[in-house]
Amino acid sequence: MSSSADGVVVLVSGLGKRYAAEGPAALSGVSFEVSAGELLAVVGPSGSGKTTLLRLLAGLSAPSEGEVLLDGKTVRRPPREVALVFQDYGRSLFPWLSVIRNVMFPLHGLGLSRTERITRGEAALDEVGLGEVARRYPWELSGGMQQRVAIARALVSRPAILLLDEPFASVDALTRAELQDLLLRLHGDPEHRRVTIVHVTHDIEEAVYLADRVLVISPAPGRVVGCIEVGLSRPRSQPETRSLPRFLAVRNEIDALIRSQQSLRSGAA
Amino acid sequence: MIARRLLGVAVFAAALGVWELWAHAEDSFLFPPVSTVAERAWQVWPTSEFLLNVAGSLKRLAAGYAIGAAVGVAVGLVLGARRGVRLALEPLTEFLRAIPPIAIVPVLVVMLGLGDAMRVAVIAFGVCFPVLVGASQGVRAVSPEARDTAAMLHVGPAELLYRLYLPAALPSIVAGLRVALSIGLVLVVISEFVGSPDGLGYYILSSSRSFNVPEMYGGILFLGLLGYVLNRLFLLAERHVLFWHYGAAGELVR
Repeated sequence: MSSSADGVVVLVSGLGKRYAAEGPAALSGVSFEVSAGELLAVVGPSGSGKTTLLRLLAGLSAPSEGEVLLDGKTVRRPPREVALVFQDYGRSLFPWLSVIRNVMFPLHGLGLSRTERITRGEAALDEVGLGEVARRYPWELSGGMQQRVAIARALVSRPAILLLDEPFASVDALTRAELQDLLLRLHGDPEHRRVTIVHVTHDIEEAVYLADRVLVISPAPGRVVGCIEVGLSRPRSQPETRSLPRFLAVRNEIDALIRSQQSLRSGAA
Repeated sequence: MIARRLLGVAVFAAALGVWELWAHAEDSFLFPPVSTVAERAWQVWPTSEFLLNVAGSLKRLAAGYAIGAAVGVAVGLVLGARRGVRLALEPLTEFLRAIPPIAIVPVLVVMLGLGDAMRVAVIAFGVCFPVLVGASQGVRAVSPEARDTAAMLHVGPAELLYRLYLPAALPSIVAGLRVALSIGLVLVVISEFVGSPDGLGYYILSSSRSFNVPEMYGGILFLGLLGYVLNRLFLLAERHVLFWHYGAAGELVR
């Protein structure tokens, strides 16, 4: 990618989405930007159009209003430099392919030799700590390991931007903490070159723990109700960071923001 | 488990026993006891004449099955992948599917004559539809996540069929192929009732016409055996090809 180190990579302006022409809006007037190397979390209650937003960013669905600019260019179809990780690893990994072949899947059609594809696939698996299970099948692995495979598959094509749609919502709490730290490690790894991450979650603490900024979205139609600078130093670690006064303050601020939106709605209704 | 297997074998043996006793009680040459049938089979089955009949049937089954399966998979994948094509073709395929394949035998006789082309065509016709439906439904059941994954990677339409839709739909294609196998066997026999120079259908019909009753029953027993063996082989192949499907469903012991 040609963007400068601290330049804006993703620029979202006036983004709106209706699934039916006269139907209700899932998203409305959403504007924000993401800088190169930033980890932006998007939180909001369920039904706030978070997944819709991510699909628009990924170019998988076309906006009804506004646009997504990637490096100054309007996103009209999935950009090569963007990779996506879904919540449901069971449905996004291919059960007929071994772990390594799942990870190598994105490398087809890039003009790489088979040896290169295998080398890069193995490197991506090593990065997520799964070098040992390359020849196994995804369904032989635990949920947490399967999601790591999905992350390796997303990273193997060395994307500039990684979009994560509630990636840790389907695993147990312990595994979730492990995967969060894995993500922080991958994001902060200077060897790996800092990838820009947009991480959608409904877990406020996860958002604060991981992100540089947290974008708060209202219930449908999804609008931006706040963008909060987390301001916690890196590297972060589970028990320490989470007990910092700053962590709690940001967490409470976001919590209050979401609650105020919900009471607004119930007041209006 | 073993006890249940034995029970199954015992019931099968009992059915043969009932046949044997009943036939002895009837004492009619039109209803020979199973022992007589088996005795004749022992003599007839190894003859080159009988084996040529078997070979003829298997050859027609193989040809018709291969053509029907290939057409079914190809058309089914496209129907599953392209909503527009599906909407356009569905009334036609649903109508054709509803026609009992036996009913088109006279049509094919008029069009193709009494040769093997007619027989292969009727088998292919009957085999095609369950496979087509399996392929189409299998593709439609591909998860949105898998589709999005492919879309993110700019997988082209041809590659999409080969690398995503075909493997994803394979379990339901195989289910269609299994149904198609027994349909194929039925249609081989029926098509050989019509002007065939050889084949198991021909053998059974000509035995019946010349009152070679034990041979007739022998032919039927052979068909039962053949169907059983083919189905067994099919299941073995299926376990091999779809091990990942059973594994993902938690039904595989490795």
